[in-house]
Amino acid sequence: MTWWCSATRELWSWTPRAYPGIWLAVAILVGSYLVATRRHARHHMLTGEDRRKWIWFGLGVAVLWGATDWPIGALGAGYLASVHMLQYLLYTLVAAPLLMLGTPEWMVRPIVRRLKIHGALRTLARPIVAGVGFNLVLIATHAPWTVDTFRTSQFGSMALDLVWLASGFLLWIPLVSPLPELRHPSPAVRCVYLFLASGAIPMLPGGILTFASFPLYRIYELAPRVWDLSADSDQQLAGILMKVGNIPIVWSVIFVIFVKWATSERDERLDASAHRRDTEGAAPIAG
Amino acid sequence: MAVIVDTETDAPSGSPAPPRVPTWTLIAFALGGLVLLGIAAVAIAWQEEPPAIRPAWGGSVLDPAPDRPATDLIDTDGAPFDLRRATAGQLTLVFFGYTNCPDICSVQMATLKQSLDRVEVPAKVVFVTTDPARDTPERLRSWLDSFDPAFTGLTGSEAAIARAQRDMGVTVAVADEVEKDGAYTVGHSSAVYVFTTDDRAHLAYPAGTRQELWTNDLPRIANEAAWQPAS
Repeated sequence: MTWWCSATRELWSWTPRAYPGIWLAVAILVGSYLVATRRHARHHMLTGEDRRKWIWFGLGVAVLWGATDWPIGALGAGYLASVHMLQYLLYTLVAAPLLMLGTPEWMVRPIVRRLKIHGALRTLARPIVAGVGFNLVLIATHAPWTVDTFRTSQFGSMALDLVWLASGFLLWIPLVSPLPELRHPSPAVRCVYLFLASGAIPMLPGGILTFASFPLYRIYELAPRVWDLSADSDQQLAGILMKVGNIPIVWSVIFVIFVKWATSERDERLDASAHRRDTEGAAPIAG
Repeated sequence: MAVIVDTETDAPSGSPAPPRVPTWTLIAFALGGLVLLGIAAVAIAWQEEPPAIRPAWGGSVLDPAPDRPATDLIDTDGAPFDLRRATAGQLTLVFFGYTNCPDICSVQMATLKQSLDRVEVPAKVVFVTTDPARDTPERLRSWLDSFDPAFTGLTGSEAAIARAQRDMGVTVAVADEVEKDGAYTVGHSSAVYVFTTDDRAHLAYPAGTRQELWTNDLPRIANEAAWQPAS
């Protein structure tokens, strides 16, 4: 029975195919969120912020589902290295941060407390640790042996998808963690961290893919061709995606951080000067 | 002495803060470490295997090497094609397959095309259909053109195709049971047979042979002294 996308060596067909394991995983994710929200709503008033988070979470689930299920999941699992790379970018740069943005603090803190993992999360939230960890996972999960081994089985393929998602969470902890104390306080550090961890460093493996003499992944080289895209061109496209596919998201986020930073500094300066005016302009009390 | 623990963060309150390393120092160290890791990874990826452990050939050596057979087939223009006469003395890659093949055939053809584009070796590719009922000359030509218009396609009677396979020592293809919608698959040999300039098939490359193997072997095959025609 086929329950998760994996390499099958069959000719590609545009007839949709069912992967019930993926649907079940999405249903569990959404169901858990709804149950937790309902329980919270019984004792607390839901705020506008909570409702906004539903939108982020919903978008994150939609992206995660789209990147995992047919056709992207099937193409990335067994046919095209470029779609494999697109999947990776959707998992780590889109789905992961959206899911984190959509998860409220009150949902995460009791779990962290119960599992006693706050110390570990604090360590993982350090930009150095998160950045190095994310890139180690990137290199490990894109090594030819890993891809050729894991994508041939449904369990292996599912494990690879889960590891990608986890590495995406790791990447974004210092920026959008549901626990505010885990977000790095310095906007400058956040910008530099995001640029290096997800923009600059991945250019190295991207370059290897783009300029390799031969296809690196056996699974994609020997797969039935889709869109008449040769194995060489497909791999080059995968490399280009890895090198520049992050640019729109990374630089957009850096821009938002920078604008918020500049705005908050300006507001602080305005508040400070208004306070000075108030204290200087106060008339002395007649004695 | 009671230790006051911050239940939110599980950290003892009032404990002295550990000495802080400047963030930029940590970033620099981590960046340097990643660069070294990357250089090591590139070096490992580009490292060639020592000659001692490189296999002699990517394909199987055929011993005895079958002679280039005479065939009673037709090409995609409908003209008679005798493999022995038409490709005598040429490096020829022969594959038995069919255009409705769900996997192997298109992969083999695509790999051959990409490999031959990399090497300056004058090799001829000959595709012999094992499904003459569905692979008309026109269909065969159209399918092969999607890989390379220079690939030769051959068809003919089932008996002639079976004879060509037997003469090469290849397992004769067998059509499977026809399904309700009229579709069927054909079980066939998945190897590419390499006829060298001495008109014998010295090597057979199985399905799954990668471009790198072909690219390494084709120039060597073309120049292998033992497989040149007898003067």
